[in-house]
Amino acid sequence: MPDTLNYYQKNNSKKGLIIDRIAKNIFLSMAILSSSFIIIIAGIILVRGIIPFTTDNLGIGRVSLLRFLTGNTWLIGQTFASNLYSIGFIIASTLFITILSLLISFPVGVLTALFIAKVAPPSLAKILRTVVETLASIPSIVFGLFGAGVILKIVYDFSALIGYQSKGGNSILSVVIVLALMTIPTITTISEVAIRSVDQSIERGSLALGASKTQTNFKVVLSSAKSGIFTAAILGIGRSLGEATAVSLVAGGRRSGFSFDLLDTTSTLTTIMLEGLKETTGIDYDIRFSVGLVLMVVILLTNLLLNAVKRRVGVVNVKE
Amino acid sequence: MNCSIEKNIIVENLNLYYGTKQALFNIDMEIPRNKVTALIGPSGCGKSTFLRSINRMNDLIPKCRIDGSITYCGENIYGQGMDVIDLRRKVGMVFQKPNPFPMSIFENVAYGLRCQGVKDKIELQKTVKKALVDAALYDEVKDRLKENALSLSGGQQQRLCIARAIALSPDVILMDEPTSALDPIATAKIEDLINELKKDYTIIIVTHNMQQALRISDFTAFFLMGELMEFDETSKIFSHPKHQKTEDYITGRFG
Repeated sequence: MPDTLNYYQKNNSKKGLIIDRIAKNIFLSMAILSSSFIIIIAGIILVRGIIPFTTDNLGIGRVSLLRFLTGNTWLIGQTFASNLYSIGFIIASTLFITILSLLISFPVGVLTALFIAKVAPPSLAKILRTVVETLASIPSIVFGLFGAGVILKIVYDFSALIGYQSKGGNSILSVVIVLALMTIPTITTISEVAIRSVDQSIERGSLALGASKTQTNFKVVLSSAKSGIFTAAILGIGRSLGEATAVSLVAGGRRSGFSFDLLDTTSTLTTIMLEGLKETTGIDYDIRFSVGLVLMVVILLTNLLLNAVKRRVGVVNVKE
Repeated sequence: MNCSIEKNIIVENLNLYYGTKQALFNIDMEIPRNKVTALIGPSGCGKSTFLRSINRMNDLIPKCRIDGSITYCGENIYGQGMDVIDLRRKVGMVFQKPNPFPMSIFENVAYGLRCQGVKDKIELQKTVKKALVDAALYDEVKDRLKENALSLSGGQQQRLCIARAIALSPDVILMDEPTSALDPIATAKIEDLINELKKDYTIIIVTHNMQQALRISDFTAFFLMGELMEFDETSKIFSHPKHQKTEDYITGRFG
């Protein structure tokens, strides 16, 4: 009898090994497929994005990379037949807008998350969680329409009130508000998960030391969840930097000169790619890939920077 | 609060319910001052529940209801107007699993003081140092007070949690199986520490380890099915238990 058993076991394990090998190859090919898309997309953007700097663009002339990155004027459209493409001021306003919107969405999002996870009674928390998750899944064009229909008017009336003639409300302020509205759900959802997964024993330890609930929430719970909250901020920034549709509806399409004035029109890297897109050949088209390349670099650098900061603030809250 | 009396925790007719399920039945007990009292009994007998009711940590459990009274320093801690935060500062607690905060060693010990609003740097440093010395941890960590507490070993973390509790100069320290997650050497260190601490503190400790109860405690309470079966000096409980059930349990016949 032992011999028979052994035979079946051997046979079984052989079969198992073959299945394992097949499964492994399937997983591997899927992984190669998905990662190759990233490489193909990045490659195409790179190849097309350098055309304006390396060719004479059918007689219009070669675009200077330095001027492109630092300059102050963006003229677009075939009719100009110019190479006045420079995005220095646009890079600056994109970063400015992203930081401003994070200044609103980060505290609001994190405090909402804290309320849902720790303060609200379970039934209310459940409702709020659903609301926030629904908000997170609203398409950006809807946020854009809301911005164009409601926020622009409010900003316009507000600027009129302080004696300022804004361009229909299209302004940095409107963009910042729309982006904040869009990123709050993302930041809230991810922070809430991070806060909820803080080990309850740490919380109890704090309460047992005579700390109040509020002290416990701010001093222990938030600091234990800081890794996840940081991730939330990174994703929020990613969404702000990458958002095109909604932003282009309220930005106003600034073509020249950086402005810190909140009620002045603006442009971001994404809106400039989207605006006035007509032809699919020529410098006017290719230059958008150059902007895309810059946007990708900006996002990459921001992520690297934030991850470096995240490591520096010492995130060691998982040890089992 | 008048804390000079000999028996500073008096439990009278304590009943505790989780929803409709009763977890503690008519507990009457007088816990002596500056002694180590061990709570023993099989799992689920209510000893940890009882321990938590002494500093009202059961308040955190929804649907937990209590009647009867626990008098600490002459005041019913379940009475109206009891300041729970103040109570927890006087009745500290050390948990089963070491639970240091994810911050520096120094900040862990300073935490309770900071929550009380102590801002003076020199005072904080003095108290933190004294607490670490008293918890027999100072020599091991004095050069790395700024390091994260999670870098310590399990036994060191548990002594840090004890230091954190005694930094508030409490009166009573509750310990819920403080050595169950530790190796024998770390356990021995904690037991030595408990022997030192009982000079200044009343210690109530839940343990599953009979040898430990025998080694470190002056009094022992045996719990069974939510009832206090027997409470006496440890030597008497272990040599001449009054109840058959107590004898069965401590000799390892069940549990």
